[in-house]
Amino acid sequence: MTTMKVTASAPEDHPTISMEREFDAPPDVLFRAHSDPDALKIWYGPDGFTNTVIAMDFRIGGQFRFIMHGPDGTDYSNRMTFREIVPAKRLAYLHGSDIENDPNAFDVVATFEAIGKNRTLLKKISVFPSVEARNAVMKFGAVELGMQTLEKLATYLKV
Amino acid sequence: MPDHLSTTFKALADPTRRAILARLALGETSVMELAKPFDMSLPAVSQHLKVLQSAGLVKRGRDAQWRPCTLDARGIKDATQWLEQYRKFWDESFGKLDKYLKDVQSKE
Repeated sequence: MTTMKVTASAPEDHPTISMEREFDAPPDVLFRAHSDPDALKIWYGPDGFTNTVIAMDFRIGGQFRFIMHGPDGTDYSNRMTFREIVPAKRLAYLHGSDIENDPNAFDVVATFEAIGKNRTLLKKISVFPSVEARNAVMKFGAVELGMQTLEKLATYLKV
Repeated sequence: MPDHLSTTFKALADPTRRAILARLALGETSVMELAKPFDMSLPAVSQHLKVLQSAGLVKRGRDAQWRPCTLDARGIKDATQWLEQYRKFWDESFGKLDKYLKDVQSKE
């Protein structure tokens, strides 16, 4: 297990959040954890959250629909519409709420890269249709983050 | 969460403003002192300070004539909390994914 790297950048036209994380599993096993609803149900979401799967149709144009239940009882509906499926290599989907034509839905591309025996680097890039859409979903500024600065300051201020 | 976070992140996007914050992390100081390391006029520095102030990242003193600049913990706290939420979501999900991967592989 390694520490996750999160970077955020936002050129005016393509606000983006990128993540990198390594896993102790070969790419096909990690890929399956992203395509099997029984697996997703177990791991998707922070501690204390549970998921109810409504439907999974894992093919291009198909949808994965599920509800995330927060520990405080709040429900979050989700819909992934698959755009690209390359087993054990690449997965692209549109992610939004479980409604038709969600204006705030954003594109996600996940790549699975073998980096040695039984180890895979997962890269996940979320691209938002507009700055406004990302702000709506992520409540997030339209700019590159001064993340390091921010963290240093937070440490300094002990906030 | 209110949208002042956008203002905060926009304010942090500029390298000069980040340098100003880094300087202020060392302690309060005057606009004059802040301008020194930069090849910049006092009005230009004041402009950056205004952006940082409206983003809740910097405070200006009222009493002393030189109106010292200090860091404002409020804005910084809101921004780090937001980032923390995002990081937490994926960190905890991936923690569960680690466990899941271990379980399925031990069964194979």
